[in-house]
Amino acid sequence: MPGGGQCPDCGSTELVEDSHYSQSQLVCSDCGCVVTEGVLTTTFSDEGNLREVTYSRSTGENDQVSRSQQRGLRRVRDLCRVLQLPSTFEDTAVAYYQQAYRHSGIRAARLQKKEVLVGCCVLITCRQHNWPLTMGTVCALLYADLDVFSGTYMQIVKLLGLDVPSLCLADLVKTYCSSFRLFQASPSVPAKYVEDKEKMLSRTLQLVELADETWLVTGRHPLPVITAATFLAWQSLQPSHRLTCSLARFCKLANVDLPYPASSRLQELLSVLLRMAERLAWLQVLKLDKRSVVKHIGDLLQHRHTLVRKAFRDGTAEMEAGEKELRGRCQGPEQGKEEVASSSLDLPEGKRPASPTPLLPPCMLKPPKRICPPPPVSTVTGDENISDSEIEQYLRTPQEIKDFEKAQAARQAARSVSNPP
Amino acid sequence: PPYAQGLASPQGAMTPGIPIFSPMMPYGTGLTPQPIQSTNSLSILEEQQRQQQQQQQQQQAQQQQQQQQQQAQQQQQQQAVAAVQQSASQQATQAASGQTPQLFHSQTLTTAPLPGTTPLYPSPMTPMTPITPATPASESSGIVPQLQNIVSTVNLGCKLDLKTIALRARNAEYNPKRFAAVIMRIREPRTTALIFSSGKMVCTGAKSEEQSRLAARKYARVVQKLGFPAKFLDFKIQNMVGSCDVKFPIRLEGLVLTHQQFSSYEPELFPGLIYRMIKPRIVLLIFVSGKVVLTGAKVRAEIYEAFENIYPILKGFRKTT
Repeated sequence: MPGGGQCPDCGSTELVEDSHYSQSQLVCSDCGCVVTEGVLTTTFSDEGNLREVTYSRSTGENDQVSRSQQRGLRRVRDLCRVLQLPSTFEDTAVAYYQQAYRHSGIRAARLQKKEVLVGCCVLITCRQHNWPLTMGTVCALLYADLDVFSGTYMQIVKLLGLDVPSLCLADLVKTYCSSFRLFQASPSVPAKYVEDKEKMLSRTLQLVELADETWLVTGRHPLPVITAATFLAWQSLQPSHRLTCSLARFCKLANVDLPYPASSRLQELLSVLLRMAERLAWLQVLKLDKRSVVKHIGDLLQHRHTLVRKAFRDGTAEMEAGEKELRGRCQGPEQGKEEVASSSLDLPEGKRPASPTPLLPPCMLKPPKRICPPPPVSTVTGDENISDSEIEQYLRTPQEIKDFEKAQAARQAARSVSNPP
Repeated sequence: PPYAQGLASPQGAMTPGIPIFSPMMPYGTGLTPQPIQSTNSLSILEEQQRQQQQQQQQQQAQQQQQQQQQQAQQQQQQQAVAAVQQSASQQATQAASGQTPQLFHSQTLTTAPLPGTTPLYPSPMTPMTPITPATPASESSGIVPQLQNIVSTVNLGCKLDLKTIALRARNAEYNPKRFAAVIMRIREPRTTALIFSSGKMVCTGAKSEEQSRLAARKYARVVQKLGFPAKFLDFKIQNMVGSCDVKFPIRLEGLVLTHQQFSSYEPELFPGLIYRMIKPRIVLLIFVSGKVVLTGAKVRAEIYEAFENIYPILKGFRKTT
C-alpha cells in the first residue's frame, strides 16, 4: 500500500497490509521484510465491541421452543386426542401450556410437575367449555398423584390469573351415567338388569338435583353422589327384580369403579327420601324403611318440590327465629302459624307425622364430637417475670446427661456391631 | 383413588342430534343457584338508601385512614362522586376494583317470601330491623373470631450448637437428618419452638400475642441457661389464625359464582371454599357448615375486620327453602 513508510531493508515504498493469522503486519512486497506488527493479544477494553451478542442469544435458544416444552406440547395434544376433545380445545390447551412456560418457576420445575401441568392445562380448557372432565380421570391418564396435581393446578390458576368455572354437575351426570354398561344385555348383565338409558338418565338427574337441594352435594366430591343416585334410579325403575342387588354388585355389573363414599351418600339420600315419604299421604300408612322406599321413588320425585318444602323446615329460618326471640320478639305466632299451615295441608291431627327436621348439611345435623369449652380469658401480658425454677424443669441434671450419653454410645456400638463394615 | 374418575369424554353419550354445548334443561332450584331476588320494590328502595348511607359512612372512615397518601386522596374524590350516583351496577364495578364487595340484596333476602307459598315469616312490608341511619356498628355480626394459633419469630443474636442443646435440655428433640433445627416444647403457655443454629427461632401454638411473646422469652431463657449468650431481638408476629362459626349453612357454589374473582372452590380437592380477601389481606376458609377459618393476619384487628367484611356476604347465601 503506497503512502507512508519505507522498507528499512530495501527502501521500497511498496508496503502491504497483510495479516499472519490473527496478527496484523505491515510487510514490504519486494523483500518481504516485516515493517510493523500488530499486537497478538487484545486487552479487555479492546474486545469491547466483540462482545455485543451474548452466548445465549447467539445460539438462538430463547427464540426456539426448548425440547422439554416441545415434549410438553406434544403431550397436551396427545391427551386431547385420547379424550376425543374438539380441535379448538387442543389449541386453547396448547396456548395455556405455552403461557405457563413463560414463567421461570414453571421452566425450572421438575419433570413430574411439567407432566402434571399438561393435565392441568387440558382440565382448565375443558372446564371453561363446560366439558365434564374430572381431576380423577386426568390423574389416572397421567399416572399422577392427586396431591401433586392439586398443588400444580392451584398454582397455575393463580399464576395465570384464570377464571375456571365449577364442574358442571348436569353434564357430569350425563357422561358418567352413559358409561354404565347396563343398556344392553350381555353375558354379565342379565335381561332384568338392563335398563333404558333415557329413563335412567332423567331419574338420576332428578335424584342428583334433590341431593343438591338437601345439602348432600355442597363440599363433597360430586362423583360418589352421582353413583348413589344412579344406583337408586336403576333400582327404582324395576324394584321387584333389583332390590336384591347391592351397590357394590351394581357397580361391578356396570363395569364402573365404586367410589368409597358412595355407600354413605346412598344412606343419606335414602334418609332424605324417607323423610319425604312421611309427608306423602298414601305412603304414610305404609311404614316404609330404607329398602321399601325405593319402590316409591318415582312418586316421591314427581312431587319432590312440595315434599321437600313440607318435610324440612328451614334450618336457617329457625335460627333466625331464635335470634328474633333474643331481640325480644315473640316467637309464638310464627311457630303456631307453621304448625297450622302444615296441618291444614296434611292429614288430621292424629296421623300427622313428627315435626319437620331442619334442612341442614349432614355435618351440621350430627351431634358435635366434643364440646369445646370457651377458652379461659388469659391475663398474660407477655412481660411477666420468668422464675428460674420454671426454666430449670426443662434442663437435664448432670447425671441425666451422663446417662443419656452412655445410652447413645451403647446404641452406636450396637448399630456398628449389627452392620459390620 | 381410582374411583375419582368420571368418564372422560362423552363420545358415545353425545349423539349427533344433541349439540354438545346446548343449554341445559332448566332444573329449578337444584343445580343452578337461583339469583337472589327481592319481590318487593319498596324494600329495594329502602335497601338502596340504607346501602348508600352505609357506603358513605364507610368511605368516610376509610378517608380518615388514608389521608397520608396522595393516591388515596384521588380515590376519595372518585368514591365521593360514585357514592352520590350509586346504583347496583356501579357497586358491582366498585367491587371489581379491589374493594371487598357488598351484596346488594343481603338485607332483603331473609324477608323475601318464596313465590307461590304462603309466607311463613312476617311480610316484607314490616321491616325486620329498624331502618335507622345505619352505622357500621349496628350491622356487626355479634360474633367474635377466636384466635387459635400465633406464629412468631425472634432472633437470639448468637450462634447456637444444636447438639449441646439437644443433649442438655429435657424438652428438646433434634434429628439433623430429618430437619436442621431443634424442636423444643414448653408446657405453659403450651407452645413449640424451632431453634436454628443461626440463632433464629420460630415459636408456634400460642393463643394470643402476649402468650406468644411470653413463650418466646421462656425459650430464650432456656437457651441462656444452657450456656449461650442469648438475647431477645426483633420479636415479630408473623401469622395469626382465627376461627368462628356463623351457625348457618352456606351455599358454596353460589358464593363462588358471585365472588368468583376472590373465591376458589374445588370440591374434588377440598371441601371448603378458599376466599382471598384483598382488604385486609386475609385468606378465609369457608365451609358448608358455616365454620370460617381466617389466616394470614399480622395483627388481631385484621382478623376481626375480615370477618366483619365476610359476614354480610355469607348472610346473603343463607338459603331459604
